[in-house]
Amino acid sequence: MTENRAIVAIRLKVPDNTAFTALVALRRSGVEVARVERAEMWFLDDAGEPETLAQRVRADESIFNPHLHEVEVRNGSLPRAGEVWIAEASASDAPMRVTGVRKAKRAVSWSLLDSNDAPASRALLECACKSLLCNAAIEEAAFS
Amino acid sequence: MKRIAVLVYPGTNSEEETLQLLRDCGGNAEIVHWSRSETLRDYDAYVLPGGFAYEDRIRVGAVAARDEMTAAVVEGTKKGKLAFGICNGAQILLEAGLAPGLGAERSPEAAFTHNAPARHFLCTLVHVRLAIEPSRCAITASLPKGAVLPAWAAHADGRLAARSDELAAIAAGGHVAFIYTNAHGTLDAVAPPNGSALGCAALTNGEGNVLAIMPHVERVHPRSAGAPLFSSFVRAVELA
Repeated sequence: MTENRAIVAIRLKVPDNTAFTALVALRRSGVEVARVERAEMWFLDDAGEPETLAQRVRADESIFNPHLHEVEVRNGSLPRAGEVWIAEASASDAPMRVTGVRKAKRAVSWSLLDSNDAPASRALLECACKSLLCNAAIEEAAFS
Repeated sequence: MKRIAVLVYPGTNSEEETLQLLRDCGGNAEIVHWSRSETLRDYDAYVLPGGFAYEDRIRVGAVAARDEMTAAVVEGTKKGKLAFGICNGAQILLEAGLAPGLGAERSPEAAFTHNAPARHFLCTLVHVRLAIEPSRCAITASLPKGAVLPAWAAHADGRLAARSDELAAIAAGGHVAFIYTNAHGTLDAVAPPNGSALGCAALTNGEGNVLAIMPHVERVHPRSAGAPLFSSFVRAVELA
């Protein structure tokens, strides 16, 4: 069966304390942001049926807790406006337990919104990365 | 006597044993909680103990490195005050750019990040050897050359990692203060236990007034086994 590179976002459906901490810390650093959202991104080498991917991810309790999480299969291969993906610079694909997935790579998605609830500009995202979200010595940031 | 502040961030958990050993070694140390950060400028030296400051949210040490407590430490070290970070305290010092402190601009140049190859939490007795001339770092100045200390490695994020050019600068600049060894002070197949680059267990900065060490020398039993480094620190504080 053909392998597809699929991207899945898993985010909390309960209040995200880490995102709130990031919001407070960014504001304290002078980054003018009104809201911060966070998701765990998985880049999957998937040999399964694309239409069943979300269901298969939900079945892996090592990454998905139905009481806490919601899953989204992302279209496109780039972050959205106002979003940055932070990944370990040395990260390599690792085996994963999701049925049909041979290996996967992980990143963290940060979505920043301004006071109008609009996606943050690229300049603001870069500022947030430099201030807090990305340690350039060990991590890489991907923008849209 | 000079005053030593033992910093407690939300989530710090090793302040009591750190304080006890500092006092056992003759240090005039007291605990300073985050709610009293404005008093930190009155102290002569800073100890950042282990724990999980701010629950290690975002990255280990990332939030703590940017709060008011650490701002006081940064300001103090610029004036030559000593800063001694252990485990999570060491991670905070790296995130704050205080160690190895290579560039003109203060920003993180390295990190104690997740262990490798297994990313698991590590909890084991290790030995570390002083890898610099004792006088290279004020905090180690009273240790004998090549001193070997027992310490308790208790971390999931103790592996030194950085870009290759930064690692080369860290090695060339004599920033690796301690390396993992066996009990005899020699390298063997089990050291380092966490995959740390350069075998690094501790980093110092260029000026030698900051020491960031991952394993806990204060947790070793008997307590006197880990005391030489604390005694050396206390002596350096009094001499500073």
